[in-house]
Amino acid sequence: MADFLQFQGVTKRFGPLTAVNHVTFGVQKGEFFSLLGPSGCGKTTLLRMLAGFDRPDEGKILLDGKDITGLPPDKRQVNTVFQNYALFPHLSIRDNIAFGLRLRRLPRAEIDERVDEMLGLVQLRGHASKKPTQLSGGQKQRVAIARALVLKPQVLLLDEPLAALDLKLRQHMQIELDEIHDRVGITFVYVTHDQGEAMGLADRIAVMRNGVVEQIDPPARIYESPRTSFVAAFIGDTNFFEGTVSRIVDHDYCDVDVEDLGTVRCWNDKHIRAGAKVYLSVRPEKLHLTHERPVDLHDGKVNVFPVTVYQKVYQGAWTRFWVRHGENADDCWELSVLQVHSRYLLDTTPISWDDKVWLSWHADDGYMLENYDERDETLLNHPTEPAVPDAPAATVAENAASAAQEVLDGSGR
Amino acid sequence: MAADVDRAGAGATPAVLEAPAPAVRRMGLLGRVRHHGAELLLTAPSFAWMTVFFVVPTVLVLLLAFRPTALDGGVGHGWTLQTWRTISNPNYPSIVWRTIWLSFAATALSIGIGLPCAFAMARIKAQWRPTFVGLVILPFWTSFLIRVFAWRLLLHPEGAISTFLHSTWTIFGWQFRFLEPQTTLLYNSFAVLLVMVYTYLPFAILPLYAAAEKFDFSLLEAAFDLGARPWRVFWRIFVPGVRAGVVSAVMMVLIPALGSYVIPDLVGGPNSEMVGNKIYQRALPDRNLPHASALSALLMLGVLLPPGVAWLATRKRHIGATDTDVVSAMSSPASNLGNSGGRRRNGVRS
Amino acid sequence: MKRLQRRSLATFWTVLFFFYVPILVLVVNSFNASKFGGAWKGFTFKWYEKLFADHAIWQAMENTFAIALGATLASVVLGTLAALAISRWKGKIQSLHYGLLYTHLVLPDILMGISLLLFFISVGLDLSLFTVFLAHTTFCVSYVAMAVLGRLENFDGSLLEAASDLGATPWQTFWKVQFPLLLPGIAAGGLLAFTLSIDDFVITFFVNGAGSETLPVKIYGMIKRSRDLPKINALSTLMMCVTVLAVVASRMMQGLGTRQQQRDARAAASAASPASRQEGQGGRVRR
Repeated sequence: MADFLQFQGVTKRFGPLTAVNHVTFGVQKGEFFSLLGPSGCGKTTLLRMLAGFDRPDEGKILLDGKDITGLPPDKRQVNTVFQNYALFPHLSIRDNIAFGLRLRRLPRAEIDERVDEMLGLVQLRGHASKKPTQLSGGQKQRVAIARALVLKPQVLLLDEPLAALDLKLRQHMQIELDEIHDRVGITFVYVTHDQGEAMGLADRIAVMRNGVVEQIDPPARIYESPRTSFVAAFIGDTNFFEGTVSRIVDHDYCDVDVEDLGTVRCWNDKHIRAGAKVYLSVRPEKLHLTHERPVDLHDGKVNVFPVTVYQKVYQGAWTRFWVRHGENADDCWELSVLQVHSRYLLDTTPISWDDKVWLSWHADDGYMLENYDERDETLLNHPTEPAVPDAPAATVAENAASAAQEVLDGSGR
Repeated sequence: MAADVDRAGAGATPAVLEAPAPAVRRMGLLGRVRHHGAELLLTAPSFAWMTVFFVVPTVLVLLLAFRPTALDGGVGHGWTLQTWRTISNPNYPSIVWRTIWLSFAATALSIGIGLPCAFAMARIKAQWRPTFVGLVILPFWTSFLIRVFAWRLLLHPEGAISTFLHSTWTIFGWQFRFLEPQTTLLYNSFAVLLVMVYTYLPFAILPLYAAAEKFDFSLLEAAFDLGARPWRVFWRIFVPGVRAGVVSAVMMVLIPALGSYVIPDLVGGPNSEMVGNKIYQRALPDRNLPHASALSALLMLGVLLPPGVAWLATRKRHIGATDTDVVSAMSSPASNLGNSGGRRRNGVRS
Repeated sequence: MKRLQRRSLATFWTVLFFFYVPILVLVVNSFNASKFGGAWKGFTFKWYEKLFADHAIWQAMENTFAIALGATLASVVLGTLAALAISRWKGKIQSLHYGLLYTHLVLPDILMGISLLLFFISVGLDLSLFTVFLAHTTFCVSYVAMAVLGRLENFDGSLLEAASDLGATPWQTFWKVQFPLLLPGIAAGGLLAFTLSIDDFVITFFVNGAGSETLPVKIYGMIKRSRDLPKINALSTLMMCVTVLAVVASRMMQGLGTRQQQRDARAAASAASPASRQEGQGGRVRR
């Protein structure tokens, strides 16, 4: 079955920058689909092309089998919820919601009925005659959603709809958005840079970087089985290991020789052959620190290394540790470990600075990446910056570049 | 100038209507005509109006300056430099010189007085500021002519100030008066300067205040904390901080001052004429249009010089900034970040 | 810091004194029986009586308002179109367009006056109310364009996108969203044009002809001839009263608007805080 919404080789350039580079994917009918990526990754440009505000330089966009690439925004059955709400300040809430219906010259009674229905859906019945300036952020956001939904679009686009709200309201609106999606059953395309929102709301997530889609999967797969180092590092935190497969164990596992660390047992779901260079990603919360060397109850599937704690940050629900393997502080492995507090931990001696402890993880918790880029290591959570002289300069250049790209990406805001 | 900068800064605002622009290339001939048609429709009326009633008359002024004068008061045929030769006679340079020094003096005084005013206005409580701005603007909602006329009344030999200054005062048994009864306050360059400052001061105060309002006054506290004296703090910290306001205040005062006509005409005498007065005399009573044109051309040059310089300066800086942006955007992280990824290796092995 | 503040405030009050004294003296003198107003010679209304009997002044006032009205209307249309064009397209043409309007704004009046005079003479147009109207429209266009441009620059472009997203054609987007939101800017530009036109002397002086005297030109003539000086005092006082009343009225209207907005904002803020508190525990409240 063909997808309800399809991007086929869509490319958009702004001068020398390619904001979206040959993107091809599909979205199913009724799906809550999220485009996730850092600012300047091209997600907003993609959304704007879908809405009709920008036109792709190459490629096609199909909606319900029809090519909508060249249609102006007012001729598409696609409606947008804008990041800054974009409510018409001179119109009341009712008139804002009725705006699209009036343009379609629907009978008065029908307009009133549909607007009332929407006001009920977003729980703003009592506010119909107010002006947008009289509403709070969350209420404005709900009006923006109602205004777009009242036209019964084939696809509802949401451009960072929660970015302008404070944390509590954001969490609440997430639940509300989810419920609205369940009730109306319209396809949602949701752009965000907040991995938490995407993970919590979306049926599937497309992770984008530099105008390219890196991975499209349901949230759990994105988190547990990242295909690239970028996906692994952008969504949550992780540890990367570089090594060479030395032998295959039990068909589904392999040993990876990691320089200066030793042999790491890893699940080999991609059936990579011995001798190949591989990169592993292991999430901090899958690593364990213990005072005693853990007993291997899993036929050699647990990796155990001695490490030294050199930084510890208590964060309430958990404690984050940074540990070192190796004697020389300038040339050693530094790993990030997340230890969730549970009652039994309180019974043991707390792990503290400079403690020599054991680090362990199960082979199934290491994941082999298909693609690795050294630069993604800068996305990781790390207490000390490496003492490379030109590191700050590079960061500045990166900021400038991403700022420039952001300007191009979100042109108009 | 300020307005230019503002405009450049707001370049990205109207987004939708800009959006089709890159697509024009693929729209075909008809589409192209239609696309530009909208622009033409919106642009043509005011563009044409400004061309007919601004560009053409300006060019006309420049051309007429090179035409001979006909005896009957019209414009003769052919081209000549005669007018320019007459202008360099000893009479005119002194008028040009007076125009320049009066304008610069008025500008300097306006800014010198305007700076402390702007400082005071920016330091009062925010809720009172609109009222104070209103107080500055309000007298200037009355007709310009009437304000000049009011000064004429005040400075008039039988007016309030003269009466006050000419009368004899006995203070502690000492007889004394401020001015001899014969001195006139009116019809001299001092009166012209005074009324110019009176008229143009708000134009200096407002941009200075706009800049001062954005000024971070904790800088002054920091300077005092470091032991600077008030005078020094004012000139070395505050004034450079409102530099942009000073530049636009100079423009706002200097340009109209150079073109003054009414003020020297009403409160100045024969010895305080400015270029504006001569332009009027040559154009209307004398009907010597080439002469008036040459003087106007001269004034135009003088008036367009300062903003031209300012514009070139800001434009240069702007281009520079754009270049930097593009350069940094093109040299994306790839080249620079290569050796900073040292998570695995804490530093380079060496 | 305190000393700097005290001194600057003292300068400011002195300047305000300097601003208001000439005007106050003028107003007082309009009721002074003395002709030159050096000393107070008793209260009188006679200058006002003389003023109301002067038909030429009323004729000039009529001209002034006719010109101001016409020039305002014409320049509002031209200036608004210009501002829309300049903000929408970014080509060389628009840079030039903007340059024209901007240069015209900074040029001294006398240059505009003389160049328009030469132009009208060259094309053989007799100086009349019509030439005054053309001249006034020309300088008003720049002010209107700048006022509307200022409004356009703060314009939230996503509102237009939102309108077209909801199905509005470009034409509908303009009339239903952009125009209503630009209206305050257009009105401000128009008001500015109107007052500038009423107040203009220099340009009018160059391009007016027989019978097309405006009030400032008339007043100038009266000043020059040094007759009727007290009548000017009376006229000035009346004109000032009208402008001050107009300014206060418009301020109050604006003030009402902003106060309404402030009230709205406050209401929104207070609505937001309990709402967010309630929304924070959303699950419990709603289920």
